[in-house]
Amino acid sequence: MDALVQELKEKVIQALNLEDVTPDDIDANAPLFGEGLGLDSIDALELIVLMERNYGIKLKNANEGKDIFKSIQVMADYISKNRTK
Amino acid sequence: MTELYIQSAVRITSDQVWVNGEKANITREKESAWLTDIYRHLGIQYPKFFKMDNLCKAGFLASEFAMKGTNLEPSEEKRDWSVLLFNRSSSLDNDQNYQKTIADSSNYFPSPAVFVYTLSNIVTGEIAIRNKIMGESCSYIMEKFDEELLYENGLIGLSEGKGINNLLIGWVEYIDGKCDVLLFHVSREKNANTICSWNNIGIKKFFL
Repeated sequence: MDALVQELKEKVIQALNLEDVTPDDIDANAPLFGEGLGLDSIDALELIVLMERNYGIKLKNANEGKDIFKSIQVMADYISKNRTK
Repeated sequence: MTELYIQSAVRITSDQVWVNGEKANITREKESAWLTDIYRHLGIQYPKFFKMDNLCKAGFLASEFAMKGTNLEPSEEKRDWSVLLFNRSSSLDNDQNYQKTIADSSNYFPSPAVFVYTLSNIVTGEIAIRNKIMGESCSYIMEKFDEELLYENGLIGLSEGKGINNLLIGWVEYIDGKCDVLLFHVSREKNANTICSWNNIGIKKFFL
């Protein structure tokens, strides 16, 4: 799981162009939206693409993202249970 | 009769920056993009910059140099300001980037973050959001740089009765790695910061 969390941090930084952020700067349990990394609605859409492209997870309902994208740790848990690649 | 007074002039090309006719000394970093080097030079913290496409970055950076001369904070509401930009290629540079994300049907992942910049007027919006500019925000496409047309639009933008006293107006073009920006802060009133009046032949000296 630790390896997936680290991988996810790196992929999120790359996908969302978080240029001045390193994986170590991201608290795996911190909220991704609002506070924390301060992501916005476009970033949420980009995370949906990231899930599908890298892990074969297609969210049927964009509202599911609210729960899945709470933090890197929650995302990693969801991915490990639902990934198809 | 409205007069246009140039308060600042910013020129950005693919390898140089001039502010009010003076060359800025931008440090080039290895493996860093030119526009990112300019951002670092400005010493600002605006993470959204890194999400912008190159056209937006170029316009945003020019506006940062122009606004530095005003002593106004970005967070101050500016009800008497407008943004009018012109270019030739619209957002084609980023349109091509977006097209790459949908070109391969076996690897079809349209990028929302790239898609949102597939309009040239996003540049004026980004500048307006950054600086809380509440007036008109428009971008126009023209065949080539036309000073007379810019001047006429400047006159209209600052004409009596509109409540607008300051304009960010200019040419913001970015295509295939080539950056070509000339942005002015123009005002209705002459003050201690005024460089010169813009009398329809007055800006050629800034085209360095």
